Amino acid sequence: MRLGKQIQSAHSGISLRASLTLLLGLLFFAYAVVSFVTPVQAAPVFQADKPANDFCLACHQEDGLDFKLGKDTIAATINPTQFGNSVHSDQSIMCVDCHTDISDYPHPKVKSKNARAFSFTLFVVCKQCHEDQFLKVQDSVHQRAIDGGNTNAAICTDCHNPHTQGRLTGKTSGELTPSARIHIPETCSKCHSGIYDAYKTSVHGNALTQENNTDVPTCIDCHGVHNIQKPTTVSFRNSTPFLCAKCHTDPAIMDKYGITTNVLNSYVADFHGTTVKLFEEEFPGQPTNKPVCTDCHGVHNISKVDNPKTGIALRENLLVKCQRCHPDATIDFPSAWMSHYEPSPEHYPIVYAVNLFYKFFIPAVLGGMIFFVLTDIFRRIVNRIKGVKHV
Amino acid sequence: MSKKIETQTYERFPVWRRIEHIIMVLSFSTLGLTGIPQKYPSSTAGAAILQALGGIENLRFIHHTAAIVMMFGTAWHILVMGYSVFVMHDKMSMLPSLQDAKDGIQALFYNIGFVKEYPKMGRYTFEEKLEYWAFVWGAAVMGATGFLMWNPITSTHYLPGEFVPAAKAAHGGEAVLAVLAIIIWHIYGVHIKRFNKAMFTGMQTEAEMLHEHPLELDEIKAGSAHRRPDPATIRKRQMIYFPIAAFLTLGMLAGILGFINVEDTALTTIQPLTEPQIYVPQTPVP
Repeated sequence: MRLGKQIQSAHSGISLRASLTLLLGLLFFAYAVVSFVTPVQAAPVFQADKPANDFCLACHQEDGLDFKLGKDTIAATINPTQFGNSVHSDQSIMCVDCHTDISDYPHPKVKSKNARAFSFTLFVVCKQCHEDQFLKVQDSVHQRAIDGGNTNAAICTDCHNPHTQGRLTGKTSGELTPSARIHIPETCSKCHSGIYDAYKTSVHGNALTQENNTDVPTCIDCHGVHNIQKPTTVSFRNSTPFLCAKCHTDPAIMDKYGITTNVLNSYVADFHGTTVKLFEEEFPGQPTNKPVCTDCHGVHNISKVDNPKTGIALRENLLVKCQRCHPDATIDFPSAWMSHYEPSPEHYPIVYAVNLFYKFFIPAVLGGMIFFVLTDIFRRIVNRIKGVKHV
Repeated sequence: MSKKIETQTYERFPVWRRIEHIIMVLSFSTLGLTGIPQKYPSSTAGAAILQALGGIENLRFIHHTAAIVMMFGTAWHILVMGYSVFVMHDKMSMLPSLQDAKDGIQALFYNIGFVKEYPKMGRYTFEEKLEYWAFVWGAAVMGATGFLMWNPITSTHYLPGEFVPAAKAAHGGEAVLAVLAIIIWHIYGVHIKRFNKAMFTGMQTEAEMLHEHPLELDEIKAGSAHRRPDPATIRKRQMIYFPIAAFLTLGMLAGILGFINVEDTALTTIQPLTEPQIYVPQTPVP
């Protein structure tokens, strides 16, 4: 009896300790698993016993899976090779991680009335892994258009096809890769093909699309990415000189092409730039009627200044730009703007001569005056010391 | 004797001269002050002035207004000078002469101890003439270059476009010269060396005259100073001068008006770039 009681109590004591240890161990193991597996962003709680991608692809690589939503046809066929090359496949993302409402066959019926509406029900799952980008988009011109009822405005999947999207950033650098940059304008052109056509002909777009030159700006270098802002606002316009200056004052880029990095300085030193700078400092966000870079150089269709057809180094071409704000301007008017030149004996020699004249004239005149004044002071002091009455 | 020369006064500047001076002081100072942010847009002083005057557009308006005031001041000066010369037959005592150069050299030599005597000078000393003609030169340069910048379209009808930025360069250089010359030469000459109140009171004492304009004092005392013509002569000359002055006035007013209004340089609104069609989806390949 007594022994039995002892055994019983001993047994129950061991049992408690063991279960506590087991619980702590489990917690630690869970923590370790979570902290090792979690990528930069929080891991969503995926379905527990997920069907493997192969299981889905067994059917979905077959042709003839199209189905109708209203008038639209949805292609439900997935190319396994293309998907295999995608960053999602690379990261072992499973079909059902995004298609969260599907777990087996038959699938629940799609209730959306058309393809676009279907996309709108699906793209919100991107937030599970890409919360940063998703939230930035909430603050974008695209989201504002959607909020205003324009369902044509881009959502995640319009730019990034989740079944084919490759890796865009370097695995270690986190920076956009050059090959990714090359394809950006094509992506935007899906909806903005008019602008893309202009961009392709521009000095920037031509270099990118024809020469695969990634020194030039793509869409996102000026407009940003994800949180793209309306580019027709006053503050965007007023900040244009500094936007262009990001690259155009960088010798690392400009020296390769023999382009001066003095463009911002020379702009600010001339009539228009001085005013824009002073105005912008005093009233940021207020419109000024003075021109910024784009008013003369163009926006998407920026051409080389010495382009024989459109280049504004030709004063006939520049005059057209001048006349937008100075309607009465005539052919000698454009050279009133020094075209970013520093005055020199070759360029703008009269301005150079005037500056040179005052460089010597001012010190000569003032120096003479100061000398005379100093001698006058000297004489007064001497006369006072000597007790001589000054004239 | 010494008591008398302290109390005996002579008129130096009649009231219209003093008004002219005040107009020039006010417009010159305003132009100089509002010029600083335009010449030195990155300076702290420029930023402070800009802030105080409510931005670049206001500042330009004030600068232009002060320029117009100075133009009117100049026109007025020309008219009264004409009256003085043609009607009153006053001596053109402001004209520079070789004697001024000699006086200047003698004054310098006196200061550095080469000669014992300071030059004896008349109504206007070489210092005053230098300043007056510097002002004339400055006003001409600033007026001409100001016109080029104010009316670039009209200017480039007649001149190469390069004259406009050249005018800007000259306007800035001349402004620096003028302001510093006033500070060095004028402020020292009439405020620091001795506070000369003649431009405000209009009068100078005999003691001051003895110091600064002994030859003029001699002329006055000798009675050889200029005498006022008799009323009949004045009236006769007025009959000739007034129509000419009226014509001149109209011409100068037209000039000032033209300066201000000859062209509409730029539209005041922003010309929007032709905005491209934003949403242009690619047509799907069939």
